[in-house]
Amino acid sequence: MAASSVVAVVICALGGLAIGPLSIPWTGILASVVSHVGMGHSHLTSLQNLVVWQLRAPRVVLALLAGAMLSVAGGTYQGVFRNPLADPYLLGVAAGAGLGATIAIVNLGNGFTTPTWTPALAFGGALLAVVLTWIIGGRGMRSNSSTLILAGVAIAALFTAFQTYLQQSNTSATITRVYLWLLGSLASASWHQVLIVLPYVVVCCAVCVASGRALDVLSVGDVESRSLGLPVSRVRLIVVLASSLGTAAVVSVVGLIGFVGIIIPHIVRLLVGTSYRRILPISLFFGAAFLVVADGVARTVVSPSELPIGVVTALVGAPVFVLVLNLRRSRVIWPQ
Amino acid sequence: MAAISIRNLSVHVGDAVLINDITLDVPAGTWCTVIGPNGAGKTTLVESAAGIRSPSRGSIFVEDVDMSTMNERQRAKKIALVPQHPTVPAGMTVRDYVGLGRTAHHGILRAMTARDRALVEDVIARLDLSHFANRDVASLSGGERQRMVLARALAQSTMTIVLDEPISGLDLRHQIDFLELLRREVDDCGLTVLSTLHDLTLAGQFADRLVLLSDGSLVREGLSRDVIRSPELAASYAMTLRVVDIDGADVVVPVRNLSMDALQEQPQMFGETP
Repeated sequence: MAASSVVAVVICALGGLAIGPLSIPWTGILASVVSHVGMGHSHLTSLQNLVVWQLRAPRVVLALLAGAMLSVAGGTYQGVFRNPLADPYLLGVAAGAGLGATIAIVNLGNGFTTPTWTPALAFGGALLAVVLTWIIGGRGMRSNSSTLILAGVAIAALFTAFQTYLQQSNTSATITRVYLWLLGSLASASWHQVLIVLPYVVVCCAVCVASGRALDVLSVGDVESRSLGLPVSRVRLIVVLASSLGTAAVVSVVGLIGFVGIIIPHIVRLLVGTSYRRILPISLFFGAAFLVVADGVARTVVSPSELPIGVVTALVGAPVFVLVLNLRRSRVIWPQ
Repeated sequence: MAAISIRNLSVHVGDAVLINDITLDVPAGTWCTVIGPNGAGKTTLVESAAGIRSPSRGSIFVEDVDMSTMNERQRAKKIALVPQHPTVPAGMTVRDYVGLGRTAHHGILRAMTARDRALVEDVIARLDLSHFANRDVASLSGGERQRMVLARALAQSTMTIVLDEPISGLDLRHQIDFLELLRREVDDCGLTVLSTLHDLTLAGQFADRLVLLSDGSLVREGLSRDVIRSPELAASYAMTLRVVDIDGADVVVPVRNLSMDALQEQPQMFGETP
């Protein structure tokens, strides 16, 4: 399963490099990719080279990173909260990022230049929301996971209320820009963004995947886990921190891409069983591949215009989620 | 030597006193069962002894080590728990479930070693779980499930196990099977057991010592036969109990205790009018 997942990611990534208004042959792209690892020579023209390596490649890499992070964070949240409806936005990351981005986009104080400040404020807003959730939820250490989830719901509602107020107080052009950000997009992907997000995704995904064994223990509940020797509070703090930090970094750059974090772990659970030692690493590859495909659809289906990627993931995600729910009726895929 | 020493233990929740100043020693290699009516504090006592409930006052020592100085991992190497209502995560195999008992030994980042796996297989074989080791835990019957939970506790390789109502929900055959299994572990492996049981007859027949609680306080403690035959037993349950000796085994029989008022209300039971 792991090997086939890697192959799927490579195929989807190559497909992502080949798809676009400018037709570039597969063989040329393959030769160019191979030449970048020091073997052979690229046969692409300078224009093709520019399109592949400055426009498409950062977009594909960013999609891979975002898809991997959101899927792993979603799976981790589902494990640590023992809740099948958990997704990476559970503790208010989305609402916080949305408020931060909206503040930047509507240019409060007129001192902000949007392209620079949007990701920074989105990141700050996301982290602020999670920290407030953690504090209100009883620092997450002493309280149970339900208290933390409810605190997340409250913080998300509060931040969304502020965000909606700011959004509605502005012109329709500004509202449109906020909506586009909220639906997510990889259109402005650059190597600079990739470099910003990369360390967060690598470290946070590594922490989450490494916590798979602890999440398996947690499946028997907090009390039994403690009696088995698991430092439940510390594990919860570490994995929630890693998931939230990685998610905040990703959404600050690509916006709020929904459904990936909830449906990918569920689909993987159907394929590999209920152990998080398998769910998390496979979700990483599946999520990465899925978001590259979704981005490919987003930029080709109404070409030369583009669909927000959040629309595509929701359009694909909703029916797939219904299918998964139906399959659950005939096969147990979630611990009751 | 005492495997578990409880010193002046009190547990409060708000204004409610669940456990009131209990001091108790559980000798190593013995089976000690806590009995008493509902609300006496049995579960609170054993949960405190297992380290999953913090005392309001007092101390608990396991193998002479103060439990409050141990972290989760150190505690799990000293004492194992079979909870009253264990969570059974559907989709997990019996082998993986039993393997959870090794968590404290291999840590959360490292995989099980060959020794861990050998210990798990040994426990699975000892408790006769081999033929369904690869089955989904959700597919087990009540009796099989309780054996599996005990196997997980034994896989922790502790010398002390705490069990809270381990036979609730089992039929008579499976109750006896389970208690015999536990008795064998005490006799053959030197295990120390602290359990709660509602069935006074089974408690008296299987445990070495009984601890009688009432309203959070220790009423009587001692050898099973002494506690079963003590007047405090019936007083704690506020009813009439008869202890009948059948082939050397004490059988506790509850006697319906109808007052004159009750007789007047239910005259038809005796076929006469008062």
